[in-house]
Amino acid sequence: MRKAILIALVVAATVVTALVAAPLFKTPAPPSTFSEAASMMTRTAVSVSLLFVWIIAAVVVTLMSGREVRYSSIELRSSPLHCFALGLVAVTSFVLTAILFSYLIPYLVGIPLLVALAVFAVLTKVYGTIAVFHAIGTIVAAARSRDLMLRRRWLRGDLAMVVIGILLLGAIRLIPIAGPIVWGIASVFGVGTALATKFGRREPWFLVWRAAET
Amino acid sequence: MKDACQRYAEDPETHAAHLQECAECRNIYGALNAEIEAKPVNVDALPLAPWEGASYRAWPLVIGGALGVLAIALALCAAAGISPFLAIAMGARPDAARAAIAAIDEKLRPLGPVVFTALFIVVNSILVFLLRRAPRGIGA
Repeated sequence: MRKAILIALVVAATVVTALVAAPLFKTPAPPSTFSEAASMMTRTAVSVSLLFVWIIAAVVVTLMSGREVRYSSIELRSSPLHCFALGLVAVTSFVLTAILFSYLIPYLVGIPLLVALAVFAVLTKVYGTIAVFHAIGTIVAAARSRDLMLRRRWLRGDLAMVVIGILLLGAIRLIPIAGPIVWGIASVFGVGTALATKFGRREPWFLVWRAAET
Repeated sequence: MKDACQRYAEDPETHAAHLQECAECRNIYGALNAEIEAKPVNVDALPLAPWEGASYRAWPLVIGGALGVLAIALALCAAAGISPFLAIAMGARPDAARAAIAAIDEKLRPLGPVVFTALFIVVNSILVFLLRRAPRGIGA
Protein backbone atom coordinates (compact mmCIF):
# COMPACT_ATOMS: atom_id res chain seq x y z
CA MET A 1 0.00 0.00 0.00
CA ARG A 2 2.75 2.41 1.08
CA LYS A 3 4.80 1.47 -1.99
CA ALA A 4 1.82 2.03 -4.30
CA ILE A 5 1.27 5.49 -2.81
CA LEU A 6 4.95 6.24 -3.24
CA ILE A 7 4.92 5.14 -6.89
CA ALA A 8 1.80 7.19 -7.58
CA LEU A 9 3.40 10.16 -5.84
CA VAL A 10 6.56 9.82 -7.92
CA VAL A 11 4.61 9.59 -11.18
CA ALA A 12 2.40 12.53 -10.26
CA ALA A 13 5.32 14.67 -9.12
CA THR A 14 7.28 13.80 -12.26
CA VAL A 15 4.36 14.75 -14.52
CA VAL A 16 3.78 18.04 -12.68
CA THR A 17 7.48 18.91 -12.70
CA ALA A 18 7.77 18.03 -16.39
CA LEU A 19 4.69 20.11 -17.28
CA VAL A 20 6.00 23.10 -15.35
CA ALA A 21 9.56 22.81 -16.60
CA ALA A 22 8.97 21.59 -20.16
CA PRO A 23 8.99 24.97 -21.97
CA LEU A 24 12.42 25.69 -20.49
CA PHE A 25 13.96 22.95 -22.59
CA LYS A 26 15.01 24.03 -26.06
CA THR A 27 15.45 21.50 -28.82
CA PRO A 28 19.09 21.90 -29.88
CA ALA A 29 19.60 22.07 -33.60
CA PRO A 30 22.85 20.89 -35.20
CA PRO A 31 25.21 23.83 -35.82
CA SER A 32 24.86 25.20 -39.34
CA THR A 33 27.07 28.28 -39.08
CA PHE A 34 30.58 28.88 -37.76
CA SER A 35 29.31 30.96 -34.83
CA GLU A 36 26.89 28.18 -33.80
CA ALA A 37 29.71 25.64 -33.93
CA ALA A 38 31.90 27.97 -31.83
CA SER A 39 29.07 28.36 -29.34
CA MET A 40 28.70 24.59 -29.11
CA MET A 41 32.45 24.24 -28.55
CA THR A 42 32.27 26.85 -25.77
CA ARG A 43 29.41 24.97 -24.09
CA THR A 44 31.40 21.73 -24.21
CA ALA A 45 34.47 23.50 -22.80
CA VAL A 46 32.34 24.89 -19.97
CA SER A 47 30.88 21.43 -19.22
CA VAL A 48 34.28 19.73 -19.11
CA SER A 49 35.81 22.55 -17.02
CA LEU A 50 32.97 22.20 -14.54
CA LEU A 51 33.57 18.44 -14.52
CA PHE A 52 37.12 19.10 -13.32
CA VAL A 53 35.74 21.30 -10.52
CA TRP A 54 33.33 18.48 -9.63
CA ILE A 55 36.24 16.03 -9.39
CA ILE A 56 38.14 18.34 -7.01
CA ALA A 57 35.03 18.97 -4.89
CA ALA A 58 34.11 15.27 -4.78
CA VAL A 59 37.63 14.21 -3.77
CA VAL A 60 37.73 16.81 -0.99
CA VAL A 61 34.26 15.88 0.33
CA THR A 62 35.02 12.15 0.17
CA LEU A 63 38.31 12.60 2.00
CA MET A 64 36.62 14.73 4.67
CA SER A 65 33.50 12.61 5.20
CA GLY A 66 33.80 9.36 3.28
CA ARG A 67 31.62 7.40 5.69
CA GLU A 68 28.72 9.84 5.29
CA VAL A 69 28.97 9.74 1.50
CA ARG A 70 29.01 5.93 1.65
CA TYR A 71 25.93 5.81 3.89
CA SER A 72 24.05 8.11 1.54
CA SER A 73 25.14 5.98 -1.41
CA ILE A 74 23.92 2.82 0.34
CA GLU A 75 20.58 4.49 1.04
CA LEU A 76 20.27 5.50 -2.60
CA ARG A 77 20.91 1.95 -3.77
CA SER A 78 18.64 0.31 -1.18
CA SER A 79 15.62 2.61 -1.66
CA PRO A 80 15.97 4.54 -4.92
CA LEU A 81 12.24 5.20 -5.32
CA HIS A 82 12.01 6.93 -1.96
CA CYS A 83 15.09 9.02 -2.72
CA PHE A 84 13.71 10.04 -6.12
CA ALA A 85 10.30 10.96 -4.67
CA LEU A 86 11.91 12.90 -1.85
CA GLY A 87 14.22 14.66 -4.31
CA LEU A 88 11.36 15.72 -6.59
CA VAL A 89 9.30 17.01 -3.68
CA ALA A 90 12.33 18.77 -2.16
CA VAL A 91 13.24 20.51 -5.44
CA THR A 92 9.60 21.64 -5.84
CA SER A 93 9.65 22.86 -2.25
CA PHE A 94 12.90 24.78 -2.85
CA VAL A 95 11.38 26.50 -5.90
CA LEU A 96 8.11 27.40 -4.13
CA THR A 97 10.00 28.62 -1.06
CA ALA A 98 12.29 30.73 -3.25
CA ILE A 99 9.22 32.31 -4.92
CA LEU A 100 7.68 32.97 -1.50
CA PHE A 101 10.90 34.54 -0.20
CA SER A 102 11.22 36.66 -3.34
CA TYR A 103 7.90 38.30 -2.39
CA LEU A 104 9.53 39.28 0.92
CA ILE A 105 12.46 41.14 -0.71
CA PRO A 106 10.76 44.58 -0.29
CA TYR A 107 10.60 43.90 3.45
CA LEU A 108 14.40 43.30 3.62
CA VAL A 109 13.99 39.96 5.40
CA GLY A 110 13.59 38.29 2.01
CA ILE A 111 17.24 38.68 0.96
CA PRO A 112 18.88 36.84 3.90
CA LEU A 113 16.19 34.16 3.68
CA LEU A 114 16.84 33.72 -0.04
CA VAL A 115 20.61 33.57 0.55
CA ALA A 116 20.15 30.94 3.29
CA LEU A 117 17.86 28.89 1.06
CA ALA A 118 20.31 29.12 -1.86
CA VAL A 119 23.23 28.02 0.32
CA PHE A 120 21.25 25.08 1.71
CA ALA A 121 20.03 24.07 -1.75
CA VAL A 122 23.54 24.23 -3.25
CA LEU A 123 25.06 22.24 -0.36
CA THR A 124 22.31 19.63 -0.66
CA LYS A 125 22.79 19.32 -4.40
CA VAL A 126 26.59 19.12 -4.24
CA TYR A 127 26.70 16.59 -1.40
CA GLY A 128 23.87 14.53 -2.89
CA THR A 129 25.40 14.47 -6.36
CA ILE A 130 28.67 13.21 -4.88
CA ALA A 131 26.69 10.42 -3.18
CA VAL A 132 25.16 9.63 -6.58
CA PHE A 133 28.68 9.47 -8.10
CA HIS A 134 29.62 6.98 -5.39
CA ALA A 135 26.49 4.92 -6.00
CA ILE A 136 27.06 4.81 -9.78
CA GLY A 137 30.73 3.93 -9.31
CA THR A 138 29.82 1.16 -6.88
CA ILE A 139 27.13 -0.27 -9.17
CA VAL A 140 29.47 -0.27 -12.16
CA ALA A 141 32.89 -1.10 -10.73
CA ALA A 142 32.66 -2.37 -7.15
CA ALA A 143 34.20 -5.77 -6.38
CA ARG A 144 31.60 -8.49 -5.83
CA SER A 145 33.81 -10.70 -3.68
CA ARG A 146 36.54 -10.27 -1.08
CA ASP A 147 39.16 -12.05 -3.20
CA LEU A 148 38.49 -9.80 -6.18
CA MET A 149 38.66 -6.72 -3.99
CA LEU A 150 42.01 -7.71 -2.50
CA ARG A 151 43.45 -8.46 -5.93
CA ARG A 152 42.58 -4.98 -7.22
CA ARG A 153 45.16 -2.24 -6.95
CA TRP A 154 43.14 0.78 -8.05
CA LEU A 155 39.48 -0.08 -8.37
CA ARG A 156 38.55 -0.16 -4.70
CA GLY A 157 37.74 2.30 -1.98
CA ASP A 158 35.31 5.19 -1.74
CA LEU A 159 37.55 7.60 -3.61
CA ALA A 160 37.85 5.33 -6.65
CA MET A 161 34.09 4.71 -6.77
CA VAL A 162 33.37 8.45 -6.65
CA VAL A 163 35.87 9.22 -9.43
CA ILE A 164 34.49 6.45 -11.65
CA GLY A 165 30.97 7.74 -11.06
CA ILE A 166 31.99 11.30 -11.99
CA LEU A 167 33.77 10.20 -15.15
CA LEU A 168 30.79 8.10 -16.27
CA LEU A 169 28.12 10.67 -15.48
CA GLY A 170 30.31 13.46 -16.86
CA ALA A 171 30.72 11.60 -20.15
CA ILE A 172 26.95 11.03 -20.33
CA ARG A 173 26.38 14.73 -19.64
CA LEU A 174 28.19 15.67 -22.84
CA ILE A 175 25.58 13.82 -24.95
CA PRO A 176 23.17 16.40 -26.43
CA ILE A 177 19.59 16.41 -25.08
CA ALA A 178 19.92 13.17 -23.08
CA GLY A 179 22.98 14.32 -21.11
CA PRO A 180 21.44 17.28 -19.28
CA ILE A 181 18.29 15.23 -18.58
CA VAL A 182 20.32 12.38 -17.06
CA TRP A 183 22.37 14.88 -15.04
CA GLY A 184 19.16 16.55 -13.84
CA ILE A 185 17.67 13.20 -12.79
CA ALA A 186 20.92 12.38 -10.97
CA SER A 187 20.66 15.71 -9.16
CA VAL A 188 17.10 14.90 -8.08
CA PHE A 189 18.29 11.53 -6.76
CA GLY A 190 21.15 13.33 -5.02
CA VAL A 191 18.94 15.89 -3.29
CA GLY A 192 16.68 13.04 -2.20
CA THR A 193 19.42 10.87 -0.75
CA ALA A 194 21.11 13.83 0.97
CA LEU A 195 17.87 14.73 2.72
CA ALA A 196 16.81 11.11 3.39
CA THR A 197 20.02 10.42 5.31
CA LYS A 198 20.47 13.96 6.70
CA PHE A 199 23.74 14.32 4.81
CA GLY A 200 24.85 10.82 5.71
CA ARG A 201 24.45 11.26 9.45
CA ARG A 202 21.37 9.00 9.55
CA GLU A 203 19.70 11.05 12.26
CA PRO A 204 15.97 11.86 12.34
CA TRP A 205 14.97 15.30 11.09
CA PHE A 206 12.15 15.60 13.60
CA LEU A 207 12.15 14.62 17.25
CA VAL A 208 9.21 12.50 18.42
CA TRP A 209 7.22 14.26 21.14
CA ARG A 210 6.47 12.05 24.10
CA ALA A 211 4.69 13.16 27.29
CA ALA A 212 6.76 12.94 30.47
CA GLU A 213 5.85 10.00 32.67
CA THR A 214 4.62 10.99 36.14
CA MET B 1 0.94 -16.51 31.29
CA LYS B 2 -0.10 -17.58 34.76
CA ASP B 3 0.31 -15.33 37.80
CA ALA B 4 3.00 -17.59 39.23
CA CYS B 5 4.93 -17.45 35.94
CA GLN B 6 4.60 -13.67 35.89
CA ARG B 7 5.88 -13.41 39.47
CA TYR B 8 8.85 -15.62 38.61
CA ALA B 9 9.63 -13.49 35.53
CA GLU B 10 9.58 -10.33 37.66
CA ASP B 11 11.69 -11.69 40.51
CA PRO B 12 13.37 -15.04 39.76
CA GLU B 13 15.43 -15.19 42.93
CA THR B 14 12.50 -14.90 45.37
CA HIS B 15 10.31 -17.34 43.44
CA ALA B 16 13.02 -19.84 42.54
CA ALA B 17 10.82 -22.77 43.58
CA HIS B 18 8.46 -22.02 40.70
CA LEU B 19 10.79 -23.67 38.23
CA GLN B 20 10.32 -27.00 40.00
CA GLU B 21 6.53 -26.74 39.63
CA CYS B 22 6.14 -25.36 36.09
CA ALA B 23 7.44 -27.43 33.17
CA GLU B 24 6.75 -24.67 30.64
CA CYS B 25 8.92 -22.12 32.46
CA ARG B 26 11.59 -24.77 33.00
CA ASN B 27 11.80 -25.34 29.25
CA ILE B 28 11.83 -21.63 28.38
CA TYR B 29 14.43 -20.59 30.94
CA GLY B 30 16.45 -23.72 30.26
CA ALA B 31 16.67 -22.74 26.61
CA LEU B 32 17.63 -19.17 27.54
CA ASN B 33 20.40 -20.32 29.82
CA ALA B 34 21.78 -22.89 27.42
CA GLU B 35 25.26 -22.16 26.18
CA ILE B 36 25.52 -20.84 22.68
CA GLU B 37 27.16 -23.31 20.38
CA ALA B 38 30.44 -21.87 19.23
CA LYS B 39 30.81 -22.50 15.52
CA PRO B 40 33.83 -21.33 13.55
CA VAL B 41 32.88 -18.50 11.22
CA ASN B 42 34.20 -18.60 7.68
CA VAL B 43 34.72 -14.90 7.01
CA ASP B 44 35.35 -15.42 3.31
CA ALA B 45 31.93 -17.01 2.90
CA LEU B 46 30.18 -13.91 4.27
CA PRO B 47 28.98 -11.25 1.82
CA LEU B 48 31.25 -8.27 1.28
CA ALA B 49 30.31 -5.42 3.63
CA PRO B 50 30.11 -1.90 2.16
CA TRP B 51 32.80 -0.57 4.50
CA GLU B 52 35.37 -3.27 3.61
CA GLY B 53 38.22 -1.67 1.74
CA ALA B 54 36.34 1.63 1.66
CA SER B 55 39.15 3.63 3.25
CA TYR B 56 41.59 2.57 0.54
CA ARG B 57 42.75 5.58 -1.45
CA ALA B 58 43.40 4.87 -5.09
CA TRP B 59 45.51 7.95 -5.77
CA PRO B 60 46.77 6.87 -9.22
CA LEU B 61 43.17 6.58 -10.45
CA VAL B 62 42.15 9.89 -8.86
CA ILE B 63 45.16 11.82 -10.15
CA GLY B 64 44.99 10.16 -13.57
CA GLY B 65 41.27 10.89 -13.92
CA ALA B 66 41.60 14.48 -12.75
CA LEU B 67 44.58 15.18 -15.04
CA GLY B 68 42.82 13.55 -17.99
CA VAL B 69 39.74 15.73 -17.52
CA LEU B 70 41.92 18.79 -16.98
CA ALA B 71 43.82 18.12 -20.22
CA ILE B 72 40.56 17.74 -22.18
CA ALA B 73 39.15 20.90 -20.56
CA LEU B 74 42.28 22.91 -21.41
CA ALA B 75 42.25 21.66 -24.99
CA LEU B 76 38.58 22.53 -25.44
CA CYS B 77 39.05 25.95 -23.83
CA ALA B 78 41.98 26.63 -26.16
CA ALA B 79 39.89 25.55 -29.16
CA ALA B 80 36.97 27.72 -28.06
CA GLY B 81 39.29 30.67 -27.36
CA ILE B 82 38.32 31.19 -23.73
CA SER B 83 40.31 30.88 -20.52
CA PRO B 84 39.53 27.91 -18.22
CA PHE B 85 38.66 30.30 -15.37
CA LEU B 86 36.16 32.10 -17.60
CA ALA B 87 34.66 28.71 -18.58
CA ILE B 88 34.22 27.78 -14.92
CA ALA B 89 32.75 31.22 -14.15
CA MET B 90 30.31 30.84 -17.06
CA GLY B 91 29.23 27.41 -15.87
CA ALA B 92 28.86 28.36 -12.23
CA ARG B 93 26.59 31.35 -12.90
CA PRO B 94 23.14 30.85 -11.33
CA ASP B 95 21.36 32.49 -14.29
CA ALA B 96 19.66 29.30 -15.44
CA ALA B 97 18.23 28.53 -12.00
CA ARG B 98 17.11 32.13 -11.57
CA ALA B 99 15.43 32.11 -15.00
CA ALA B 100 13.71 28.80 -14.24
CA ILE B 101 12.34 30.08 -10.93
CA ALA B 102 11.17 33.31 -12.58
CA ALA B 103 9.44 31.34 -15.35
CA ILE B 104 7.68 29.09 -12.83
CA ASP B 105 6.67 32.19 -10.85
CA GLU B 106 5.17 33.67 -14.04
CA LYS B 107 3.18 30.49 -14.57
CA LEU B 108 1.92 30.30 -10.99
CA ARG B 109 1.05 34.00 -10.66
CA PRO B 110 -2.28 33.82 -12.56
CA LEU B 111 -3.48 31.11 -10.17
CA GLY B 112 -3.64 33.62 -7.31
CA PRO B 113 -2.28 33.69 -3.76
CA VAL B 114 -4.76 31.16 -2.37
CA VAL B 115 -3.75 28.42 -4.81
CA PHE B 116 -0.07 29.25 -4.31
CA THR B 117 -0.46 29.04 -0.53
CA ALA B 118 -2.33 25.75 -0.81
CA LEU B 119 0.34 24.36 -3.15
CA PHE B 120 3.10 25.51 -0.80
CA ILE B 121 1.44 23.85 2.20
CA VAL B 122 0.70 20.61 0.32
CA VAL B 123 4.24 20.27 -1.08
CA ASN B 124 5.90 20.99 2.24
CA SER B 125 3.52 18.62 4.07
CA ILE B 126 4.50 15.84 1.66
CA LEU B 127 8.17 16.77 2.21
CA VAL B 128 7.78 16.49 5.99
CA PHE B 129 5.90 13.19 5.57
CA LEU B 130 8.72 11.76 3.43
CA LEU B 131 11.43 13.07 5.76
CA ARG B 132 9.88 11.24 8.73
CA ARG B 133 10.81 7.85 7.26
CA ALA B 134 13.93 6.40 8.84
CA PRO B 135 16.73 5.51 6.40
CA ARG B 136 16.95 1.81 5.51
CA GLY B 137 20.63 1.92 4.77
CA ILE B 138 22.99 -0.75 5.96
CA GLY B 139 20.44 -3.31 7.12
CA ALA B 140 18.59 -3.39 3.80
